[in-house]
Amino acid sequence: MALEKMIPLMLDGIRDTMYMTTVSTLFAYLLGLPLAIALVLTSPKGLAPRPLIYRVMDAVVNIFRSIPFLILMILVIPLTRLIAGRAYGSTATIVPLVIAAAPYVARMIESSLLEVDPGVIEAAQSMGASIPEIIFKVIIPEAKTSLIVGATISSGTILGYSAMSGAIGGGGLGQIAISYGYNRYQTDVLLVTVILLIVLMQAIQLIGMYISRKTDKRVRE
Amino acid sequence: MALIELRHLSKTFKGKTQIVEALKDINLEINQGDIYGIIGMSGAGKSTLVRCINFLEKPTGGSVVIDGKDLASLTPKALRSLRQEVSMIFQHFNLLQQRDVRGNIAFAMEIAGMKKADIDKRVDEMLEVVGLTDRQHNYPSQLSGGQQQRVAIARALSTNPKIILCDEATSALDPQTTTSILNLLREINKKMGITIVIITHEMSVVESVCTHVAIIDNGDLVENGTVEDVFSQPKSQAAKKLIFRKAGADMGSLGERMIRIVFEGSASTDPVIASLAMECHVAANIMYADTRDVNGKAFGQMILQLPEDKLQQEKAIYYLQSKGLRVEEVTSGGA
Ligand SMILES: Nc1ncnc2c1ncn2[C@@H]1O[C@H](COP(=O)(O)OP(=O)(O)OP(=O)(O)O)[C@@H](O)[C@H]1O
Ligand SMILES: [Mg+2]
Repeated sequence: MALEKMIPLMLDGIRDTMYMTTVSTLFAYLLGLPLAIALVLTSPKGLAPRPLIYRVMDAVVNIFRSIPFLILMILVIPLTRLIAGRAYGSTATIVPLVIAAAPYVARMIESSLLEVDPGVIEAAQSMGASIPEIIFKVIIPEAKTSLIVGATISSGTILGYSAMSGAIGGGGLGQIAISYGYNRYQTDVLLVTVILLIVLMQAIQLIGMYISRKTDKRVRE
Repeated sequence: MALIELRHLSKTFKGKTQIVEALKDINLEINQGDIYGIIGMSGAGKSTLVRCINFLEKPTGGSVVIDGKDLASLTPKALRSLRQEVSMIFQHFNLLQQRDVRGNIAFAMEIAGMKKADIDKRVDEMLEVVGLTDRQHNYPSQLSGGQQQRVAIARALSTNPKIILCDEATSALDPQTTTSILNLLREINKKMGITIVIITHEMSVVESVCTHVAIIDNGDLVENGTVEDVFSQPKSQAAKKLIFRKAGADMGSLGERMIRIVFEGSASTDPVIASLAMECHVAANIMYADTRDVNGKAFGQMILQLPEDKLQQEKAIYYLQSKGLRVEEVTSGGA
């Protein structure tokens, strides 16, 4: 493909991919964070044990996590239509991306929150801290570094999903790779999209790790 | 009325396979201004007991009354505000790793709902008390264990508590740092009148700071009272084991006359033995000594081997008794 055609095509692809990834990650966190907090609180060893509620949430998360993304995308097409008005394109793809990523994100956050030293939580309890205070003043700030690492990994995964969505009508670099590289045998286009995806993934990784290192107070300087 | 009253306190942990009776019918009164040591072997139930005092652990029986309030009768909110009067410090300090020293001290006051300006002022005061003003912007990872425990003490003091509970607060520290932390606690007790409960498995901690001691053995409170009473005349097997840990070993095989002298706080050890030699010209051989100084007085026991001469023996015994020491025969062939 000619360069003057390739460049605008790729720029559009990058824009769409970044749009899908950031918006999906944002919404996945909006759903995943409360879910993770609820899991941590209601677990049998949590601050407010509710074994039944915990088991139900735990099972729901596991079920969504075990459906392969492409199949989930097809399964939720009616819902996607309902929310986005259509089932293809970048904006529409955000719906299945969020549904697939939220349980994944919830698990990531849950494991970060569980890493917090129980002794520190006990100290807060001994000072008379309430459960919301323990969550927002102790657990989340103490888990900050791990949460940032988790967010880095999660947005990388969502980037991967968004590329995959190109196979059935999602937008962005994934779609370019499928429609030019696979359907029309334009290997050069395929190659460029792959390189761009790698660069994006690296960028996410580097930025995320940099922020997590910079904000961690546990390391001696 | 006692500041802390434990009445028929019991705690049973029910596991899947076994039931652990961690505390059995504990009755204990701790008065305002006491430094109360609670000592026992590992697994005796000390941590469980101290966690029951602020209801971090809900007892399965009996009651905990603090300052006239039965904790079981309090609403969750009232319990949380009571906890602001009962601070706790821990073996592993339990500081917030992502907050600096100032932030950690401020934390307890934020929970207590104090105003920002008041918190700042109080943090400065507390830094002064624990001597960490120059470290106020450091993070816990940049501090030694002793310094971290000082931050924890500052945090515990900041809300003006009536009581400070210490669960093995010095167990992770070296002897020198332990001494400095214990001195700090004693100072706090003296200057501010704060009642302190110290959980430990180290006798030396009780000796150096406590006014009272309770001995816990396998979930039972076997003995309690002033440190002087319990140390000079331990009644229970557990207390004797803790106090005279090595006494009684290898003592029967020597064929000569031996006596046990018991120090009950009346005199210090060294001058007695020295003057026995100087004044009575009796050279006694110290076979075994397990004495300790508590607030400048000696407690414990010493086993002396006396000379062959009968007269000298009587002279020595008479002299020791005149100094107010209890003297007991140690019969050869088994002490
Ligand atoms: N949450 C729990 N569930 C079950 N058993 C427990 C629990 N907490 C404590 N126990 C048991 O209760 C007993 C007393 O434990 P506790 O921690 O109070 O001992 P301790 O005197 O503080 O010992 P150490 O000196 O080792 O800290 C132990 O047998 C322990 O296994
Ligand atoms: Mg313990």
